[in-house]
Amino acid sequence: MTADALFAAQFASLAQFVGSAPARGEILFGTLRGERSDFLRVNRARVRQAGTVERVTVGLRLLDAGRQARMVCTLGERERIDAVLGGALAELRAAIAQLPVDPWACWRPVPGRSERVDDGDAPGPAAAIDAILGAAGDADLVGLFAGGPMVRALASSLGHRHYHQTMSSSFDFSVQAGGDRAVKDCWFSGHWDAASLQAAIRAARERARILQRPARRLAPGDYRVLLAPQALAELVALLGWDGFSERAWRSGQSPLARAARGEARFAAGFTLVEDADAFGVPRFQDDGFERPARIALLEAGCPVRRLVSPRSAREFGVEGNGADEDERPLAACVAPGELPAAQALAALGTGVSIANLWYLNYSDREACRATGMTRFATLWVEDGEPVAPIEPMRFDDSLYRVLGEQLLALTDSAEPIPAGDTWNGREPGGIRAPAALVGALRFTL
Amino acid sequence: MQGRTAGVFPGLPDESAFPRVAQRGARVSLRVIEERHETLAVTRGVVQPARLAIDRGAMVSVWLDGEIGYCATADLAPRGLRAAADRALEWARAARGRGLGLADAPWPRPQAPSSREPPDDPLPGRAELIDLLRAEAAAMTRDARVRHWSASLRTTSTSEQLWIDGALAARQSFRFVVPNLEATAVDAGRSQTRTLGGQYNGFCRQGGGSVLRDSGIVGGGARVADEALQLLGAPNCPDGARDLLLSPDQMMLQIHESIGHPLELDRILGDERNFAGTSFVAPEMFGSYRYGSPLLNVSFDPGVPGEFASYAVDDDGAAAQPRRLIEGGILLRALGGALSQARARALGWPIEGVACSRASGWYRPPIDRMANLNLEPGDATLDSMIASVERGIWMQTNASWSIDDSRNKFQFGCEWARLIDDGRLGPLVRNPNYRGISATFWRNLAAVGDRSTMQVLGTPYCGKGEPGQIVRVGHASPACLFRSVEVFGGES
Repeated sequence: MTADALFAAQFASLAQFVGSAPARGEILFGTLRGERSDFLRVNRARVRQAGTVERVTVGLRLLDAGRQARMVCTLGERERIDAVLGGALAELRAAIAQLPVDPWACWRPVPGRSERVDDGDAPGPAAAIDAILGAAGDADLVGLFAGGPMVRALASSLGHRHYHQTMSSSFDFSVQAGGDRAVKDCWFSGHWDAASLQAAIRAARERARILQRPARRLAPGDYRVLLAPQALAELVALLGWDGFSERAWRSGQSPLARAARGEARFAAGFTLVEDADAFGVPRFQDDGFERPARIALLEAGCPVRRLVSPRSAREFGVEGNGADEDERPLAACVAPGELPAAQALAALGTGVSIANLWYLNYSDREACRATGMTRFATLWVEDGEPVAPIEPMRFDDSLYRVLGEQLLALTDSAEPIPAGDTWNGREPGGIRAPAALVGALRFTL
Repeated sequence: MQGRTAGVFPGLPDESAFPRVAQRGARVSLRVIEERHETLAVTRGVVQPARLAIDRGAMVSVWLDGEIGYCATADLAPRGLRAAADRALEWARAARGRGLGLADAPWPRPQAPSSREPPDDPLPGRAELIDLLRAEAAAMTRDARVRHWSASLRTTSTSEQLWIDGALAARQSFRFVVPNLEATAVDAGRSQTRTLGGQYNGFCRQGGGSVLRDSGIVGGGARVADEALQLLGAPNCPDGARDLLLSPDQMMLQIHESIGHPLELDRILGDERNFAGTSFVAPEMFGSYRYGSPLLNVSFDPGVPGEFASYAVDDDGAAAQPRRLIEGGILLRALGGALSQARARALGWPIEGVACSRASGWYRPPIDRMANLNLEPGDATLDSMIASVERGIWMQTNASWSIDDSRNKFQFGCEWARLIDDGRLGPLVRNPNYRGISATFWRNLAAVGDRSTMQVLGTPYCGKGEPGQIVRVGHASPACLFRSVEVFGGES
């Protein structure tokens, strides 16, 4: 597939600019982030909001005599790109004149080059609406379709040239069954495939039948639970919030500090790897450093390596590994275990099958204790058979306990769960996780 | 007509650029936004690189035959806006008969345009601001146990224009100011963090230099670091039922999560069920439901000077007016804009709403948001509330938040707390948390602080929507006292 014509032209303009605009002694990095996204929002199997967003931003970073400043600006009219970038550079020069030398400034002096342009396609408005509403039938379908190309690119006055373009379609949806109960799923693909999407919706409708049964109310207490891959992924995402960050560890804010000191650990079967290739994450970051294909974060339940941004590497005098500034995993993959997935409910026996967790936060960060809610298709199970949905329950428990002494098994297959965040635009990445059988999860409310 | 010229960009487009749609009966709205951000920070003793940003673009929305399509573009030339209008029209046509079926667009017919300018309240220059942050950061380094410390300031200047059917409906300008201080103290395997306005910037207002003065950032560095050190040596918060006194910097989170979100009409209509969630509030509750004790009065008020989400007109063109949502504890109105109100009426629910259709930027369509949601002051002094408690706890400054998808079962944590026994303040405790259920928690509201206990706060980070949108929200509140709440600490 060839690069998107607009994105490629904008990157060419950026590369030309960073190569020619710096004065003697200046170093200029430019990142380009862009998307052309169709968003179709559905409620009650009808169109709620539908539209297109085309947004491309450039982040310029100017370094001069050890001082630096950054500026992000939106690219609009094609004929004004040079004027926009020129204006941004002038503002950066004015800013760094007021700043002291930055002792943590760090960039890769050796230029790297890469290009990846993934094949793919996405539907137009009518095709997307036809496919989604056509499969909904009489179901109460709610969700968001997002499709189109995304680009991440980097150029510098030192000669860096990286271009990474992907094309994808996704439908993050739920089939509602009344109250808080629903079956949630996310269909995604690099290629538009209406039949595959419709099959996913029909399968969810089928799974939602049991949710029509009267819900059970559980009393607070410890419960044997089976965490579906999506639920385990929520716990992994929470651990990723400063858990693997070098900066958080050094500044006393890491929720995994006790594990890093050897005072606590997860189960021996719990292994976590940052695998950039698993979700098509760009292999370069904004300072020109390249990410390794794999970084082991937890092995046999113990911390192995942390994510180190170039800035943290300079501040703390350690080796960096191409992490972004926030030092969060982008593609965390939990190693599967040995429990056959088809036997997971039987292994649970009697307990709670949790499809999704929701709104997690730390209730005691230094102890890695977290709270959150069950959500969507969470079922009471007896002798391996789903019996009825349960009303949402709050848990509050140490993750060292839940994923440590209480982690009985992981299933033998792991599911990819793409990143669904769209706050500032569509994002690459995701989490791959198996299901987890947990001996006791503490419900509190 | 010209917007503010920013140096990098030319002015906002004029009337001639308004995109016309060659379709009889179609209506068009154009929302153009330019935002400039600047973030300055001193972290662990080092002045961080200045971070600047300019974001500029337009949202074109087309209503046709009951449906709305949109297209967001940063190409503000007439050619770019026309192309965006064509794409929006294509979406509206594709949804015909399969969407909301609105009798009309949710936009008012053209009237005299509204305008709003920020107050004359200049900010100090960049060099002076950096000096301030350096001084406060330096004041936090008085003890080697302070492992992390930072002083930061984020400012945003925004210019917006809203055009409806070719006529200017509103022109608004804002300046948002968000200062903060943060210190983390570490010793013997224990870690405690204290901040100026919460770890997620609860102190945030519109204005300039007066915001800095009111925030307490000047001279606040030493206090924040000292309190982190004090928490390090404090015992764990005890477990059990206690009366709970909340300061405004926790009340704002309590109001936000367990009053604001449940009253959003789009949640009640089901739009958010796949993501942010639904609401325990049902349409038939408006007008009669006892949300809280008779002391509870909550207002939507986008006109409070300096509050973070004050504005004149919402993003669908409705004029913003103050409205009581809860009066004497009884639920009256929803947080629903013109579109949601029309949808509710079509379903047989004549729910009154407010002007709260807002988008996070030019690249997102408006949805129901909180804006300023304020709890009105009562007549209790802080001392009288403390004196009325036999066994209780006073908590300050949000640190952790979690609530279920219908906004009912919540659990929140704070940075700081002191026990109250027999009407007197007791020792400091660390890791204070509490949990409850919205539907009953507010009925246990036993006292509402007077104006001397009130603070105007908010959050820059209210998330919701598909695709996701993060907007600014204001919350003003006095200190409040609740009876018999389940309180607990961290791992012993």
